[in-house]
Amino acid sequence: MQKRPFLNEDHRMKSVPDEDVMLQVRNGEVEMLGVLFDRYQAPLFNFYAKMTQDRGVSEDLVQEVFLRILRYRQTYRPGTAFRTWMYQIARNTRIDQVRKVRPETTLASEPAAASLSDSAQQQQEAAMLQRALMHLPEDKREILVLSRFQELKYDEIARLLGCEVGAVKVRVYRALQQLREIYLQLESGPIPTDLHRAPRDSLPPIVPPSRRVQ
Amino acid sequence: MNCERIAELLPDYLQGSLAREQSSQVKQHCEGCASCAQDIVMWKKLALLPDEQPSAESRARFEAMLQAFPATTSERIASPQTTSPQNVSGSAKRVTRFGFFDWLRSPVGAVAWSAALVILGVVIGTRVNTSAPPSTPAHSEELSAMRAELTNMRQMVALSMLQQQSASERLQGVSWSGREDRLDPQIQAALLRTLHSDNSVDVRLAALDALSRHATAQPQVRKGVNDALLEQQSPLVQVALIDQLTEWRDPDAAQRLRNLQQTPNLNPAVRQRAEWAISKLQ
Repeated sequence: MQKRPFLNEDHRMKSVPDEDVMLQVRNGEVEMLGVLFDRYQAPLFNFYAKMTQDRGVSEDLVQEVFLRILRYRQTYRPGTAFRTWMYQIARNTRIDQVRKVRPETTLASEPAAASLSDSAQQQQEAAMLQRALMHLPEDKREILVLSRFQELKYDEIARLLGCEVGAVKVRVYRALQQLREIYLQLESGPIPTDLHRAPRDSLPPIVPPSRRVQ
Repeated sequence: MNCERIAELLPDYLQGSLAREQSSQVKQHCEGCASCAQDIVMWKKLALLPDEQPSAESRARFEAMLQAFPATTSERIASPQTTSPQNVSGSAKRVTRFGFFDWLRSPVGAVAWSAALVILGVVIGTRVNTSAPPSTPAHSEELSAMRAELTNMRQMVALSMLQQQSASERLQGVSWSGREDRLDPQIQAALLRTLHSDNSVDVRLAALDALSRHATAQPQVRKGVNDALLEQQSPLVQVALIDQLTEWRDPDAAQRLRNLQQTPNLNPAVRQRAEWAISKLQ
């Protein structure tokens, strides 16, 4: 199937920074977006899978992010870190998706494919962690996923969320503590769903329209 | 050092960005404080969650989106009342213009130009050469030779377009190839190759369409299309192939569909379609 690569990321492109590739996309070479897609589809998918626990929804969201990048490529400013800009779009895409879907449906959706861990116990722990993560309010889950799995540094997250680095660190710390509490509760028995379900208004603050990248 | 101070340092400690001295202070505190140590354990435990990987279909979907994109924007230009932000139509115009000139600059463009020049030559030649009456055998021979040359040229363009990097150029190649009344063996092979292994779903679907138009006259085309069924991964192409097979009602179609149903991880929609097709064939 991969006989003729369609602007895949290849060795010649490896050293080209994201920002330069994005500028090419902005200047009309839209097919160069394939390079950025190859670099970021997996991290973005992982981000959404951890946030939604739904593979189908996650894949749709990844596609939507790249469609928005293409559609709003003119709003990309030279000198902006591409990754931060992309995650801004990714967050907004997710916020729009949550608005469309009722919270019940989000939580009732199928969990992502089980991990292939070494032992049954590890698998069990991973499943419990995933459940604990889903019991966290959306904004706390997001900040943990961004800092723990997406390898975003705190200053990058601060730019993304539009707050101070110190505030990000405090939020990470609190999210981790709450996750720990939920995890311990899950270990000792199931949590009544209503008690810990993320309330509807726990979405991350919506970025004001002037600052918002679609 | 108390827990409050540790809480300030912990996030940086977790991301490994603390200076060595502060890092060892955190460690020292955690040896005597179970609560803070538990936070670190929790953070480390998160590593148990697997790195989720997107499916193989993801890139094909992306490519289809990328191909569809300039088309969508040019549709918007056609109906300006539906587009409000001015920057959208501006950028769309840029894309269209870019696509056009890029095409002319490419090798395919060069071949197409040559073809156009040959056509021009033929037209001028026939107009200027008025000495012979139009119905003489020599003239019609000449004309048919020119036609053959034109066909060759068109085939050459088509073959070259099928080799292009850009999926939209390959799509054009497919539509050029399908124009002949009878598929040249070389073109037929190229189209079958496209149907089997092109990495864009749209191009594969177009190739199937072009091939199916010639299947009645050329049975070997039908065989090639039949063979593609088990190789396809994309549900869209699989369903299109199943429909085509059902339409042709080949004697061995039902068996091929049953074989397809045996495939592990087959998309449920495809499986359902195959069942429907088998019931129709019986």
